[in-house]
Amino acid sequence: MSELILKTEKLTKVYNMGKRKVTAISGLDLQISKGEFVAIMGPSGSGKTTLLNVLGCLDKPTGGTLLLDKVNVSELHEKKLCEIRRNKIGFVFQTFNLLPYLNAKENVELPMECTKRSKSEREKRARELLAMVGLSGREEHRPQKLSAGEQQRVAIARALANDPAIVLADEPTGNLDSQNKYEIVRLLGNLNITKGTTIVMVTHDSQIASQSERVLLLSDGKIMKEKQGLHLVKKKLMCPYCGSRIQLSDVRCPSCRKRL
Amino acid sequence: MGKRFTLTWDKFGSNSEKLFNRSRIFGQFKRIWIVKDVGALRRAAKNFSRRKMRGLMVIIALGFSMAIMISIPAGIMANQEATQHLTENFNSTITSMQEEINKTATLIECRTSGRSMSSGMPMGMPPFGQEERFINETVIADIASMDGIKDIVRFLEQSSEETTSETISEPGGRTFTISRPLYTIMGVSLNSSLISGYSILPANITAGRNLCDGDSRVLIMSSNLSDYLGLQVGDKIEVYGESFTVVGICEVSRQGRMETRVVYMSIFDAQTITGNSGNVSRLDIYAEDVSDVDVIADYIEAVYPELYVTTYQDRLESLSSMQTMYSTTLENAESTLAQTQSLATQEIIVVIAATSLIILFVMLYTVRERTREIGTLKALGFSNWNIMSQFMLEGILISLVAGVAGIAIGSLGAPFLSSLLLPHVSLFGGSSSGGFRPGFGSTNPVVIGSETAAATLSLPLVLLAFGAAVLLGALGSLYPAWRAAKIKPAEAMRYE
Repeated sequence: MSELILKTEKLTKVYNMGKRKVTAISGLDLQISKGEFVAIMGPSGSGKTTLLNVLGCLDKPTGGTLLLDKVNVSELHEKKLCEIRRNKIGFVFQTFNLLPYLNAKENVELPMECTKRSKSEREKRARELLAMVGLSGREEHRPQKLSAGEQQRVAIARALANDPAIVLADEPTGNLDSQNKYEIVRLLGNLNITKGTTIVMVTHDSQIASQSERVLLLSDGKIMKEKQGLHLVKKKLMCPYCGSRIQLSDVRCPSCRKRL
Repeated sequence: MGKRFTLTWDKFGSNSEKLFNRSRIFGQFKRIWIVKDVGALRRAAKNFSRRKMRGLMVIIALGFSMAIMISIPAGIMANQEATQHLTENFNSTITSMQEEINKTATLIECRTSGRSMSSGMPMGMPPFGQEERFINETVIADIASMDGIKDIVRFLEQSSEETTSETISEPGGRTFTISRPLYTIMGVSLNSSLISGYSILPANITAGRNLCDGDSRVLIMSSNLSDYLGLQVGDKIEVYGESFTVVGICEVSRQGRMETRVVYMSIFDAQTITGNSGNVSRLDIYAEDVSDVDVIADYIEAVYPELYVTTYQDRLESLSSMQTMYSTTLENAESTLAQTQSLATQEIIVVIAATSLIILFVMLYTVRERTREIGTLKALGFSNWNIMSQFMLEGILISLVAGVAGIAIGSLGAPFLSSLLLPHVSLFGGSSSGGFRPGFGSTNPVVIGSETAAATLSLPLVLLAFGAAVLLGALGSLYPAWRAAKIKPAEAMRYE
């Protein structure tokens, strides 16, 4: 097993809703290695988003430990958490959350603003990242001039801006049509293969989840089931359906014509 | 020393190891300061222009507040200046009159009508709607036969045939139209010993020459008349159908709302052209000694009841009554000013409060509206300080733009705004010299001097307004920015 990037032990998150206590995560143990592409599935209310928020240091766990890149995050306070979010984590949201008054390039530059990179370095990197997600030439477009799929690509480029140890995607395909859904999940998969980016994706779409390499089924704040996804086979550049060789750029398998 | 720096800067950023390096310290400083690159500022500007209509409304509302904020002090300053000016005028008027009266202690002034009492300067106003009356020169021989008379100076005052109709506006904004003679003809004795001994002729010749003994069919006129008629020295003018040459132009020292236009000519010419041969309208009788004045005055009053006689004593009394009146005016002006100032202070406090509240509400609304954005920024690694400074900057930017708008509105509308917001201070008072009349309560008040307070913007005031704009922007956006910084990212992401 390769190096662990994320490890939780008995992770618990309890919300105080007035007098009532709602347990969103109850004693969750999870290990994610570097370079993995993990999907977390579960019905609504199963604690998916809460888990992702806790893993992304947007929310503090009530109990248990969370080790992120060997740092015990559960003990840090807000100031340090903000640095962790900036440098170690990339977020992709269901609703893209691009700033509407900034163009694609400026949106990608945003996370780099609080770092030591110079303005020109930032611009250069933003262009590279946008090219990587297939948006070269659209750097100056504002979000409203981009399609939903393109907006999510900008968001993915933004998540990668500070070279995070892990990318957390909360329902990244939730607001997209089926064509764009597969393109986005393929983009995430390709980034995982080419850049070795560790990706944790939350989704309730089993089709999408199966495109990852490990699918975790979450129920009542615990991992109930774990299964393999198709991505593990794809990593070897083989079609998961018929086993013939494929290219990363292929949208459909050249021999069995199934969507990859 | 280095240790201290490390501790201080470390609060705002990581990497504080090599702080002895100067450039590094500067780098850290830039890091603290939001302007490290203009990202935050540019975002603030972009955000502001995102909602153009709303931005415009806010700017107009704030602009008016700012305009009021600068107009009020401008109005106060103008009022202060006007009051001070008035005081100065008043003091110099009283002083010069006192001097004039003291100089002419032996003068007994006899007029055919009681409308005016000049302290030696023959520049009274013609009586409106009042018949001009004259006495025959034969009385002179009678008076001159008395003991103790040194000199008798004759005057003939007569209105011109032409009349003008003039509109006069009071500082209060009221206007009224009056019809009055175009000018007053002042016939004076040109006897050389008299004109050298007494102040008979105007002292202030601005062009040409003064009148002298033996002058005939020539005149000098007050500058306001020469301006009005467009005449210069050497030009001809028809007076009562006779041609006269303008040989000099004199300055009128009075600065009232309605200056008297006068021509001076020899009394002989005046009598001839107006058909008043042998008539005079005023006699200035000079006694040998001050002790003779009362006897002579009593005699004249007894024998010629149609003459209005004033002496040194009368003039002093009149001066003191005028002094009292002016003092009252000044006191009123000062107390009005004091009231105005306290009102202005209250108004400014209200406006400042209103302005900060507008900024507060606008910024609170903005923060609410952009909760998701704040959540996103936090998820991307923006610190509380980054978020807070972003919103502070936006608030300051709004108020700065509003400050510019306020100065623009204020520079155009300061007089109007200040007169709208401050009680109207109308100040009437004395001028440097000139005729005055005792009955101020009469139907046609003669305003001897007036001051209108017009608010104008000065550079320090504009700078102050800018300072205030920045301060109010910071003040008003402090709480909203703090709220924004304290938003929990996980909750913000759920917010719709």
